[in-house]
Amino acid sequence: MLITKNIKMADVIHMNYFTLSVLNRFGIELGFGDKTVVEVCKKANIDVDFFLEIANAFVDKDYFPKKQLQSFSVKLITDYLRKTHYEYHQIKVPEIENLIEDMVKSGYTDKENLVLLKKFFNDYKQELLNHTQREETVVFPYAISIEDAYNSKTLENSVFDLMETYSISIFQNEHENIDEKLFDLKNIIIKYLPKQKKSENCHKLLYELFSLEQDMIDHSRIEDKVFVPKIRDMEKVITKRFAEKKQ
Amino acid sequence: MPKSTFIICEKSYIVRKGLISIIEKIPNTQIVQQFDSEDEMKNLSNIESDFIVINPNLLNKETINILQNAGSPAGSEGNSQFISLSEKSEITDINWVEFININDSQNTILTKLKTLIGNKETNESKSKSQDEISKREVDILKNIALGLSNKEIADKLFISTHTVVTHRKNITRKLGIKTVPGLTIYAILNKIININDTE
Repeated sequence: MLITKNIKMADVIHMNYFTLSVLNRFGIELGFGDKTVVEVCKKANIDVDFFLEIANAFVDKDYFPKKQLQSFSVKLITDYLRKTHYEYHQIKVPEIENLIEDMVKSGYTDKENLVLLKKFFNDYKQELLNHTQREETVVFPYAISIEDAYNSKTLENSVFDLMETYSISIFQNEHENIDEKLFDLKNIIIKYLPKQKKSENCHKLLYELFSLEQDMIDHSRIEDKVFVPKIRDMEKVITKRFAEKKQ
Repeated sequence: MPKSTFIICEKSYIVRKGLISIIEKIPNTQIVQQFDSEDEMKNLSNIESDFIVINPNLLNKETINILQNAGSPAGSEGNSQFISLSEKSEITDINWVEFININDSQNTILTKLKTLIGNKETNESKSKSQDEISKREVDILKNIALGLSNKEIADKLFISTHTVVTHRKNITRKLGIKTVPGLTIYAILNKIININDTE
């Protein structure tokens, strides 16, 4: 179902409680009574079109962005994406680490096996960090430069050079599946880890892994469906301007 | 168990959507593509699926030819199977395995589809054991876990890299583990390698 301006914000959460994490990233607090999406956004000083775009891309795997809604700035998108990254590193990953640590303490399986799991997750954490850092230091600044050039009246050659060295399609190609290791970790725990004691922590851990994986899939969809197309459109316009200038 | 994949060819949006919602009720199924016209179906030849559900109204000389050459996914046997979206069809060029009537109840349709999927799976498991990795695959897995590249494994076992890649795909499918570090943990847990070997 499509989330629109005039439905109640409470219903958005009832529809799909995964939207809670989107609300969190927008800094929207609960307790909004019967207020609609647009009312809540206005009060929290949030661009409602932007909120709708993100929320819809997040909940609907078949969502196609509406061109007329894409008026918000790239800065707004990258800020949102940065917040997501921050949440992964500061909240979700430490939570999982704690749960693995608890399993070690409760003697869920041989210590050796847990050391393996810990190392595996640690490597994954590093991979995730590299991935998000690359986005924040290379991709986002590039996207903002492209937007500046797009909005600028003059046509700087430096932009042309920049576009020679990088383009959003490079990002799209190298945007590999960061969630593969999570997938493996889940299966190792579900199918192969020999256990000695019952542990509720293990179920909690699995739940967190599933939830992080789902969030990441939804997160990459926002990058692929909102972020990338917007930059690609601007790249096209700029390339065209350069071509016209040459003539 | 690999997913059972479906292609749906039907003009009516409502019928397509309805059918999809029924198929999605069966676990481990996937709709790989939908087509709503004879013209669109020209793209069908590039797509693999286990089952093609098609309204015979969409059949003409050209589309029949395309269907007859439709392939099923690598790893499963034979060609795609055809399900007709009408009770009867005069067209005998296509080897129908089932007929779905517009007035069939949901349960009838579910039973028909589940039977077909069941048949496909028993056929496949007869030809090879599905989820257990073979002795040869254990050899390959061991070398992957030890950190060897496809090329190195190929040279060591006197097989082509292509064969190594095929084995790797099968191992990943059977175990549900995609990455090398994940496979390494599996190998250690199952004592295929020793933890000290990886250092």
